[in-house]
Amino acid sequence: MTSMETIIFAIVSLIAVVGALGLVFAKNPYHSALWMVFSFVGLAGLLALLQAYFLTVLQLIVYAGAIVVMIAFVMMTIDFRKVGGLSKFVPQWLWGLIISFGILIDLFILASKMKIDVSQSGKNLAIAGSNTKALGMELFTHYLFPFELVAIILLVALIGVVVLTKREIK
Amino acid sequence: MENYVPFLMVAFILFAIGATGVLVRRNFFVVLMSLEIMINSAGLVFVILSYFSGTVSGQVFFIFVAAVAASETAVGLAIAVLMYRVRHTVDVTEFSMMKR
Repeated sequence: MTSMETIIFAIVSLIAVVGALGLVFAKNPYHSALWMVFSFVGLAGLLALLQAYFLTVLQLIVYAGAIVVMIAFVMMTIDFRKVGGLSKFVPQWLWGLIISFGILIDLFILASKMKIDVSQSGKNLAIAGSNTKALGMELFTHYLFPFELVAIILLVALIGVVVLTKREIK
Repeated sequence: MENYVPFLMVAFILFAIGATGVLVRRNFFVVLMSLEIMINSAGLVFVILSYFSGTVSGQVFFIFVAAVAASETAVGLAIAVLMYRVRHTVDVTEFSMMKR
C-alpha cells in the first residue's frame, strides 16, 4: 500500500466508522438517518479503494439515496412525538453491549488467523479497463440463475409490503 | 496493496457497531438502520476478499446482498407501520404481545 492510499484509507474508514457511531448514539432518529448517509459515503470510498467502481456508484445511489429516503419518508408519516420522544436505550442495553463486544473480539481473532492467497491481488477485476464489463460478464455467465432469483425476491417483497400495509376498504 | 487485515478490521468494526445498534436502541427505525449497516459491512467483506483473491465473484455477491437488503428494509418498514397502527408506538420493548 502506498502512503497516499494509506491516508485515503484512514480518512474513508474514519468517515464510515464515525457515521456508524453517530447513527447508533444520536438521540433524534432523523439525525440517525443523516449519519447513515455519512457512513455510506465512507463505505463507498472503501469500495472505490478496492477498485469496485461500479459498486461505489451503486452504493451511493441505492443505499445513500434510495434506502435512506425510504426510511426518512416512512418516519415522516409517523407522529414525531412518538418517534423522537423515546428514551434512547432498552433496559438491557448492557447485555447488548457485551454481546456485540464479544462479536467484535471473535471477528478480530478470525481476521488475524485468516490466510488467503494474495498472489492474484488486484487482478482480473476489469476487462479492457472496465470494471462494469467484468462484473456484467461474471453476473450473466455464472450467476444468471441467482440473478433471476433476486428478481423474484424483490417482487415478493413488493407484493408483501402492499398486502401488509393495505387498509381494509369495505 | 497486500495487507487485507486493516480492511477486514474496518468491516468488522462496522458490523459490531451495527450489532450494538440493533441490540441496545429502543426506536424501531434506528434498529432497521443499524441492520442496514450490518448488512453493508457483510457486503464489504465480500468485496475485500474479491479484491485480494483476484476474482469478480465477490462484487457480484455484493449486488445480491444489496438487493436483499433493499427488500428487507421495505418489509421492515411495512412491519413498523403496522406495529405503529396496532400499538401507537415504535418502541421495540412494547412489541411483546407473544410474551403475555
